[in-house]
Amino acid sequence: MALITVRFYSLWRHHLGAASMALQAHNIDDALMRLEQDFGPQLRARLEAAGISLDGTIQANSLILLNGTALRNLKSTDLKDGDVLHIFPPGMGG
Amino acid sequence: MTRHINFRTVNRVIAESAEAYGAPDGRAYRVIGIAITASLAGAQGVSPKEVEIAALEQGIVPRRYLRNIGTIGVTGQIKLLQSTVAVVGAGGLGGTAIELLARQGAGHLIIIDDDSFTEQNLNRQIMSNENNLGECKADAAARRVTEVNSAVTVTVFRKRLTGENARRLIAGAHLAVDGLDNLPSRLAVEQACRQLRIPYIYGAIAGFSGQLMTVFPEDAGLSALYGTSCEALPEQGIEARTGNPPVTPAVIAALQVQEVVKIVTGVGEPARHRILMVDVRENTIDRVDLAR
Repeated sequence: MALITVRFYSLWRHHLGAASMALQAHNIDDALMRLEQDFGPQLRARLEAAGISLDGTIQANSLILLNGTALRNLKSTDLKDGDVLHIFPPGMGG
Repeated sequence: MTRHINFRTVNRVIAESAEAYGAPDGRAYRVIGIAITASLAGAQGVSPKEVEIAALEQGIVPRRYLRNIGTIGVTGQIKLLQSTVAVVGAGGLGGTAIELLARQGAGHLIIIDDDSFTEQNLNRQIMSNENNLGECKADAAARRVTEVNSAVTVTVFRKRLTGENARRLIAGAHLAVDGLDNLPSRLAVEQACRQLRIPYIYGAIAGFSGQLMTVFPEDAGLSALYGTSCEALPEQGIEARTGNPPVTPAVIAALQVQEVVKIVTGVGEPARHRILMVDVRENTIDRVDLAR
């Protein structure tokens, strides 16, 4: 079990009311599952109250980096103490 | 047609036309104004930009750049006037970027946009107003550049940038500023910039949040965010639900232009290998370092 830091940005930070949190998880899948369990319903409810509907999980609606590497580019899903997971919704407007 | 210009004469006339100016900080400058620049350009058969560069090379500062010199110096201003910047998109991000680049004195702008202004653009797209709805954004932006700084020259492409034409449209630019609103076009610009070996200044917004990153040809760039496989990537982000308020694109575009200034003048360190996450509601700028 690794102790990692999860950092939220943008809309997630605002509606979760926290910039970062500590989390214990076996691997990234485990970390994302715990995040979804602990924060998913709260995030969706607060977004809904703000008039923003969010279909699917936090993971499905986020860009996620582990120590600066996109989840999609990771070769291993292992975690170690001190790892940092950055999570934010993609913004593509201009 | 070959131009025969006697730059000795141009330089002499500039020197004779220069006036003394004492800056508030006590520094003394020799300066020339817009009217003299235009008249010299007309009389000597050169462009206003050539007059400004010739003046700066003698240490004579065009008045319009006096407030730039303290940060980038005369040499930096010359480099900017000699630069070509492509701005892809002339909407929320691109419109503000174009306005600031013209005021900063970037010498040549390539403006690419096939879209026209609609009423829902009025909240944030600085080149739009109630009288030019329906006008091509690139044309409106080019006209604004001329109004703000007649020394800045403009090439307009009323085209939608695609993977097929991106390289051709951007060719000749020293760097490209992202004023786009979707991921596929951004990936096309980034790829074209890699092929042309020029920096790409990424910017994007959603609601009160914006992102910025400078990508040199050898940098990971957008793949560091979106992965190396483009499969199943969404075309749009959370902005489809949060909207695009006025301040966020203005802030990100301003930072993008500052990246241009850094790269062209060498003053300041570009935001490479990191993404800046700007939140105008929370008053925060977070820096996420990307793995290399």
